[in-house]
Amino acid sequence: MEILKQRPSRHPAEVLTFVLLLLLSSVTLLTTLGVILSLLGDVVEFFRRVPLTEFLLAPEWTPLFANPRYGIAPLLAGTFLVTTIALLVAVPLGLMLAIYLSEYAESATRARVKGVLELFEGIPTVVFGYFALLVVTPLLQRVIPGLSIFNPLSAGLVMGFAIIPYISNVASDAMESVPRSIREAAYALGARPYEVALRVVFPAAISGIIAAIILATSRAVGETMIVAIAAGQRPALTLDPRETIATMTSYIVQAATGDQPTGSTAYYALFAVGFTLFALTLALNILAQWVVERYRERYE
Amino acid sequence: MNKAHTEAFGVDPWKARIDRVFARALVLPLLLALGLLALLLGDTLYRSFSVQVVRADEGPGKTYPFGLSATETLRQDLLARGYTEEEVAFSLQDPKERQVLFLQNRVELMWNTQDGPFRYVVTGVYDERVADFSLAEGLRRWNELKANLKEGERLVLNPWLDQTFLTRTPSRSPLTAGIGVAIWGTVWVLSLALLLAIPVGIGTAILLEEYLREGRFSRVLEVNLRNLAGVPSIVYGLLGLALFVRGMGLGPTILAAALTLGLLGVPVIVVTAREALRAVPESLRLAAFALGATKRQVVFRVVVPAALPGMVTGVILSAARLIGEAAPLLLVGAAAYVPFMPTSPLSQYTVIPVQIYLWISQNQPEFARVAAAGILVMLMVLSVLYLLALYLRNHFRREW
Repeated sequence: MEILKQRPSRHPAEVLTFVLLLLLSSVTLLTTLGVILSLLGDVVEFFRRVPLTEFLLAPEWTPLFANPRYGIAPLLAGTFLVTTIALLVAVPLGLMLAIYLSEYAESATRARVKGVLELFEGIPTVVFGYFALLVVTPLLQRVIPGLSIFNPLSAGLVMGFAIIPYISNVASDAMESVPRSIREAAYALGARPYEVALRVVFPAAISGIIAAIILATSRAVGETMIVAIAAGQRPALTLDPRETIATMTSYIVQAATGDQPTGSTAYYALFAVGFTLFALTLALNILAQWVVERYRERYE
Repeated sequence: MNKAHTEAFGVDPWKARIDRVFARALVLPLLLALGLLALLLGDTLYRSFSVQVVRADEGPGKTYPFGLSATETLRQDLLARGYTEEEVAFSLQDPKERQVLFLQNRVELMWNTQDGPFRYVVTGVYDERVADFSLAEGLRRWNELKANLKEGERLVLNPWLDQTFLTRTPSRSPLTAGIGVAIWGTVWVLSLALLLAIPVGIGTAILLEEYLREGRFSRVLEVNLRNLAGVPSIVYGLLGLALFVRGMGLGPTILAAALTLGLLGVPVIVVTAREALRAVPESLRLAAFALGATKRQVVFRVVVPAALPGMVTGVILSAARLIGEAAPLLLVGAAAYVPFMPTSPLSQYTVIPVQIYLWISQNQPEFARVAAAGILVMLMVLSVLYLLALYLRNHFRREW
């Protein structure tokens, strides 16, 4: 493979092709640069008006009030709450599915199940939001008294289902790459299939599994439409899953759909929240990659 | 393999039991997910029908035989209201007038009216809905409701997803709201976005797979792509807002939306295109080189054509992903109420998922039914795309 790439050519047509491809791929680098610059400029402007201590410590997020407060804490609390609920659903179910796919399913079944998961992944999150608001919330309200119409509980539950494919895809890939010889060794020692799955394959693939969970977390933090529809848009510093809250993403949607005049502090606040979101998900993605590289078991 | 191992040794009955329970429990998430899908689909379908008692304040609210086109039905209705032939013909030929007419009148495909099944009903925009019943309740009380109808009221089974729902413009009244503008907006935005995303995505994939040796630059590109794939789509929306809408002064237009969505689609296309390229066996490249082909000839005449079905499948799947994106487009100005079809890249626009989101956020409960009808439309579009991708994948699958 590598050897095929080592064919330098000075022929103008060859060079032109190469340059053209370089130009096309540079768009991806420019996108990153664009995201960072477009956010950073407005973020700097925001912090010129609002002190960093206010942003980090104030207990309220009320940019549109007469006396605005800009504390990110309520939005972080909301995001944390929804993400936690989603992970409580998605991690156990996703990992069970991954074990099923890699250890138990026949290859024909596996292909079919992966098809279903792909379908699940392809359902727009607007649809899941609709489902959370109009189906899941009324069902939950019968069981849980005092549940608001907009609540992080049903948004989180539905989002949990929506991110199952992300976990099971990555985790089952990791488990499938555990070599057959290790399984056979375990069987030779008299292990049962469940012991092989849980005590041999699972630990061997742990770095991939942890990466899968981190990636799903990042996905849940950045998910927008489900929370914007079903979790509400009232920033509150609470961890009570029955109360209406707002997440970072749902605040961005709310602020962007109500017209903010360019240049107002509320407009720049949009970018401050967006940057926090970007930094958080970027950190999670980098962490996931680091975990995979650092803790990967290498087999000959 | 499992079975053979179980029987080869003496079996601890407890472990055997745990084994069985575990194996069964593993299917649970799959059943849950399938159940959820079924519930979602069933509920949406169910909610998109309702039984209504409708009072027409304007127009006769007559019924027309099934099989007429919406335009023909409207024409007959206008004639019945006392318009002359010329007036009607003129209004229906002029696109603007026609739009206004359709905005004011909902030509519905009613499955059942008190006059009999399968009729069209022309409903004035000023219709005051008297009541909206869920399908089960409405059908249960059908006879009771029918007996209590007052003068000018009609009892109808309203399938919200009817023929004209697909061509109507949005409206502030749920009865006359349609998804036509959103469908055209989606077509515009998506095709322009793919125009950007396909060359960039596939070009990057070719560069990474066929040209770059492992080194610092290819590593930077890869890490960057992986990170871009993980950036929440709403952050792309902020990028679009700052860069295209405000920075380049495009405003809330189709072009700004397409640029934003195009950038969002690039990482997905790169991943799938790389997989397709990687599946092309090395021997093909070697053979081409051995025949004296240049690098460019090998890549563009041998490798890319061989990988094309896989790439096309990948592009269709990413298009399906992009169709569902609402968050970034909310930021780059998909508007709540666009009464005219888009005509150029600088038109105002709305897209299907954004339209659905806006319907869900309306207060009137009937808008939930409109949203359900919209979701059905979107799911139908998506299933067509998935079936297409599946067909391509199976039809062109090749063992090397």
